Amino acid sequence: MNKMMLSCKKATELVEKNSVIGLSWNENMQLKMHTMMCSACKKYESQSKIIDLVLEKLNSDKSIKQRLSEESKAKIIAEIEKE
Amino acid sequence: MFSGLIFIRPFLFRKGLLVYSIFIINVFNTQWMTNKSKIVISNWLNEYGDELYSWAFYKTSNKEIAEDLVQETFISAFSNYDKFQEKSAPKTWLHSILKNKIIDHYRKKSKEFTISFEEYYNPVKESNSLFNENNRWFDDSGISTQNWLDNPEFNTILSKCKNKLPKNWQFIIQAKYFLDKDSKQICQELEISTSNYWQIMHRAKLLLKKCIEINWVK
Repeated sequence: MNKMMLSCKKATELVEKNSVIGLSWNENMQLKMHTMMCSACKKYESQSKIIDLVLEKLNSDKSIKQRLSEESKAKIIAEIEKE
Repeated sequence: MFSGLIFIRPFLFRKGLLVYSIFIINVFNTQWMTNKSKIVISNWLNEYGDELYSWAFYKTSNKEIAEDLVQETFISAFSNYDKFQEKSAPKTWLHSILKNKIIDHYRKKSKEFTISFEEYYNPVKESNSLFNENNRWFDDSGISTQNWLDNPEFNTILSKCKNKLPKNWQFIIQAKYFLDKDSKQICQELEISTSNYWQIMHRAKLLLKKCIEINWVK
C-alpha cells in the first residue's frame, strides 16, 4: 500500500495524538489527506472532539454546593488541638 | 514542670539569669502563638471550610476522601502557620495547600491500579474489533454528532459508557480535569509516557464511540 495513505486505525490514532501533543508536519498532511477521502474517519474526528467537549462540561459543573458537616468540623478542630 | 527550674536555677547561676528569662519568654510566646493560630485556623474553618470541601468533593467525587483532604489541609495550615505571610489571602493559601493534597492523592491512587491481563486485554481486543484485517472500519457508517452538545440525554449515555471503561482508563481520561493541567504535566504526574497516554485515549475513545452509537437513538 502507498506509504502516504494511512489506514483508518492509524488515522484515528493520529486524531488523538493531535489533541494530546500535536502532530508533525508530515503526520498532519497524512491525516488531512486521509480525512479528505474517508468520511468515516472524518466523522470520528468530529465525534472525538465533541466527546472531549462534553466530558469537559460534565467535569466543570461546580454548581453543586457541598457543606462540611458540623461533626467533621469539630473533628478537624480536635485534630488541631492535639498538635 | 519548668517553674521549679526557673526559680531555682537563676539563683545558682546568676549569669544564666538572662538566658533563662529569654527561655521563659519564648515558652510563653510560642504558647501564645499556638493559641492565636488555633483561633485563626478555626475561624478559617468556619469561613472557608464549606468552600474547600465543595471543591475537594468536586475533584474527588467522594465524601470521605474530600473530608480527609480538607482535614489534612487545615492541619498542615496549622503546622505551617508561621510560613503564612499576610501578603496572600488566607483563602488563596488554603486553596493552594488543598490543591497539592489533591494532586498527592491522585498520584498515590495512580500507583494503586493493578489490573489483570484480561482486564487489559479485553478492551484492547474490543477496540481492535472495530477494524478489519486491513485496519479499515468494519462499519463505516458512523452516526452524526448532531444534537450531541448540551443534550442531557447524551450526557447520561456518555457517563454510562465512560463508567464501563476499565478503571485505569477512566482515571486517565478524568485526570486532566482533576489536575487542571496540560497533557505533558499529567503524564509526569501519573508517570506514564506521552505516547502511552494518547494511545490509551485512542482506545478509550474508540470504545466510547462504539458504546454511544449502540445506545444513541437517532
